[in-house]
Amino acid sequence: MAETTIGLAGNPNCGKTTLFNELTGSNGYVGNWPGVTVEKKQATWRANRDVTFVDLPGIYSLSPYTPEEVVSRDYVVNDRPDAIINLVDVTNLERNLYLTTQLLEAGRPVVVGLNMCDLLNEKGDVIDASALSARLGVPVVEVSALRNTNLDVLVNKAVAAGKAGKVQPGAPCFSSEVEGALGEIAGIVSGSCDANLVRWYSIKVFERDAEAVRALHLSSAQLNQAEKIIKAVEKSRDDDAESIITSDRYDWIGEVMASCVKKAPKKLSMSEKIDRVVTSRVLGLPIFVVVMFVVYYISVSTVGTWGTDWANDGVFGDGWLWNPSDQAAYEVATEEFDANYYGDKIDGFLAAAEADGIATDEVGAAVETLAEDPEDADAQAVVTAFATEADAAGVVATDVPMHDGDGNFIDADDEVVTRIDAEGNPVLAEGQELAVIDTVSAADFEEAALAQGGAPALEDYGSFVPSVPSVIEGWLVAAGASDFVQALVLDGIVAGVGAVLGFIPQMLVLFVMLCFLEDCGYMSRVAFVMDRVFRRFGLSGKSFIPMLISSGCGVPGVMATKTIENEKDRRMTAMLTTMIPCGAKTPIIALVMGVLIGGSDAWWVAPMFYFLGLAAIIVSALMLKKTKMFAGEPAPFVMELPNYHFPTLKSWWLHVWERISAYLKKATTIIFAASVVVWFLLEFGFANWEGGNGAFGFMSLMEGAPEYYTDYSLLAIVGNAIAWIFAPLGADSWQAAAASINALIAKENLVSTFGVIYGIGDATENSVTMWSGFAGMFTDASGILHVGAMCAFVAFNMLDAPCFAAIGTIRRQMDSPKWFWFAIGYQCVFAWCVGLIINQLWELFVLGNFGLWTVVAFVLLAGMIFQIARPMPKTEQTDDKILAQLA
Amino acid sequence: MAASAQLPLAMVGPDEVARVTRIRGDADLRQHLAELGFVDGAEVKVISRAAGDVIVSVKGARLALNRSMASRISVSI
Repeated sequence: MAETTIGLAGNPNCGKTTLFNELTGSNGYVGNWPGVTVEKKQATWRANRDVTFVDLPGIYSLSPYTPEEVVSRDYVVNDRPDAIINLVDVTNLERNLYLTTQLLEAGRPVVVGLNMCDLLNEKGDVIDASALSARLGVPVVEVSALRNTNLDVLVNKAVAAGKAGKVQPGAPCFSSEVEGALGEIAGIVSGSCDANLVRWYSIKVFERDAEAVRALHLSSAQLNQAEKIIKAVEKSRDDDAESIITSDRYDWIGEVMASCVKKAPKKLSMSEKIDRVVTSRVLGLPIFVVVMFVVYYISVSTVGTWGTDWANDGVFGDGWLWNPSDQAAYEVATEEFDANYYGDKIDGFLAAAEADGIATDEVGAAVETLAEDPEDADAQAVVTAFATEADAAGVVATDVPMHDGDGNFIDADDEVVTRIDAEGNPVLAEGQELAVIDTVSAADFEEAALAQGGAPALEDYGSFVPSVPSVIEGWLVAAGASDFVQALVLDGIVAGVGAVLGFIPQMLVLFVMLCFLEDCGYMSRVAFVMDRVFRRFGLSGKSFIPMLISSGCGVPGVMATKTIENEKDRRMTAMLTTMIPCGAKTPIIALVMGVLIGGSDAWWVAPMFYFLGLAAIIVSALMLKKTKMFAGEPAPFVMELPNYHFPTLKSWWLHVWERISAYLKKATTIIFAASVVVWFLLEFGFANWEGGNGAFGFMSLMEGAPEYYTDYSLLAIVGNAIAWIFAPLGADSWQAAAASINALIAKENLVSTFGVIYGIGDATENSVTMWSGFAGMFTDASGILHVGAMCAFVAFNMLDAPCFAAIGTIRRQMDSPKWFWFAIGYQCVFAWCVGLIINQLWELFVLGNFGLWTVVAFVLLAGMIFQIARPMPKTEQTDDKILAQLA
Repeated sequence: MAASAQLPLAMVGPDEVARVTRIRGDADLRQHLAELGFVDGAEVKVISRAAGDVIVSVKGARLALNRSMASRISVSI
């Protein structure tokens, strides 16, 4: 049997992609957002592999207003599928038939599928399918894509129609006058094209669709002749040719509707009632705010955070327990063990012993050995001997401070002490009392040293699942991999990719909810409600959806911009949407809020940063709108509002998966490569430390390498080379530059990079040591913390080019190197300017420092305000046209 | 039909039914609106209206239009 190709065409939201998935089993994404399928998808029929389906984008017509329409039209007219299945949403029949009339003219066999008849019956309307078939001149089949009814009949009819190759002449939908004119034009074009396409091209010539007609290579004499015919009709109808064609089509469809559909008396549908409320002027915005608050509360504050902790601390950390009761038992045991404060007792006693002049080197090593292996007899003997000696010398440690699990000091109320000074000593607020162990005797020390290794271990529980890094380490060791290979794989690849994958649980929760809002139809209402607000800033309401998605991850956020029809709006949104803080930026927020207010638990912290991101977008939009590239009103808003419905679990999940998998793909390609490069830069360097020979190599295996060898790494060299860029921002250390580079892999790497560079190891953004290390970077010799510089640095990293994954997506979305580099350049320059202004203004108004850069900051600020405030420059219409052609 | 008042769609109140008489704008936009169902004589029912932004039902489909779009569509009641 010969192969058959069938194109699936239809309006947005008519259920076409559901049909495609049912027929092919392919995991194409099904959405309730008009125009969601932009690329065409292809797959074979489950029932017969010789039949191939091509899923065309949802379109309203075959005239090229949107890129989707161009794709579909080119396919139907040029690629010549064997047949076309035109899926029609019967709840919206009048609109859907408009496209049908055009498809009938395209010179391919067409079969019409009437979808969603069940919904129509609920409304009480009845369609006479056979009468419709007679009017259209093609087979019409009632189907349900969702419930998989009659789909085989539909496809078999299409295959049969394709085999027969009989092409209908197109519906007789025009008035006799227009039909007469079309007949004359047909005489002109008939020699220049395929016989099946004569009617198609006749109509195109009549509509003066220059782009479509160009393919015919008509002579100017022929065109003039056609022009005369068109002019005559235009004159008698007193309308332009395009409108004549459109309104004739609708008139004919009106007739068809009257004869084929019995309508029940109209009442306000449920969807219409809901729309009255959720889009109303008074309630629209408040309802939206409440909905979003619930979404973020669940995905960021509660469920999502549990998921992220599980992924970061468990799957990519120390392993985890799948049985919740084991987990609870482990937590109780750990709490009991921690209450002994063994570590604090050991440290305190050793310090006291040293102060009393007793050497502690040997016992220190023994204590470390025991931490690994509590059964080590030699070490036990050393500890016991030391305890006896110290006891004899009368050593007792007093007022030993206690620490919590993050290594932070705690006060008498069990709260974390949020300030420490440069030496690492706690700084207490008034009335705050440090939690201490009153006395530690030699016997206490001995007990602590011998018992410290006995912490409850996850591995001891039955439901233990080892972490990914430990499993891979096991494989590498078993395979006999060298230390270098192990370091590359574990520290470079697994750690880098793992850090990124750790965000998946949180993203999953967020996208489960956002995709529900999209699929049920609420999101298109949000776009409409937000349009009122956004229009003032020169953005369309459609720009808002990508921004919402970007609050989870910029990759699907940038991808979501493709539903914006207006090219300028689309480009601008793709450029700016990543300024919204994504999941990976939250650790940076936690870090800076830790320094500023001692924690990020306050409810207003996260909303404030979203608001700042939004403010940056608005400022940028206002400025860019005044440039020639983006000038002009945002495209007037018109958008179809699909009926509310509860999405099927399958389509809902496919939508979530589409979003997540976009991120996964980036994590396993771009981020994989970038992790290796940055790891290489961080681990390789020249042995220029004291006693080093200056040789280049893998530093941790080099002889005499200091513990914190990253100061000599290639990354330090690169960081030093570009540190001058950050000098006006107040962060002129190579560490700041290096951390910004590393943050390009994934933004939360900013935090972990500081951990590595400052030798705090894997301290988290919740560790006070980390806060003080970070604050120390912005503290000058006289001990003043430059808050402005710190905020400037954070602002720069929030607003500059996003992570590599998102950068790659922007590149693909812009589809033009020129625009891509402009977008990245703008992001970095804007971020730098904002950072400069924050730092210099702080320096001037709070610290009273004035310099050349202060002047620059004022000039930039004035420039921004001018650009925002100045009236819209008048650009000639022709300029826009030329730009549009260039772009 | 008696000549009746012409007004922009943005001014039509909820639940009112109007007929499209004229659309202003460039050819692409007019064409796009026409394809969405805003052709001469088409019946438009306003479902909700807030500050000129309207949600309407036309040719059996529901469409949201902002004020600037709705002002380009002249209708008669």
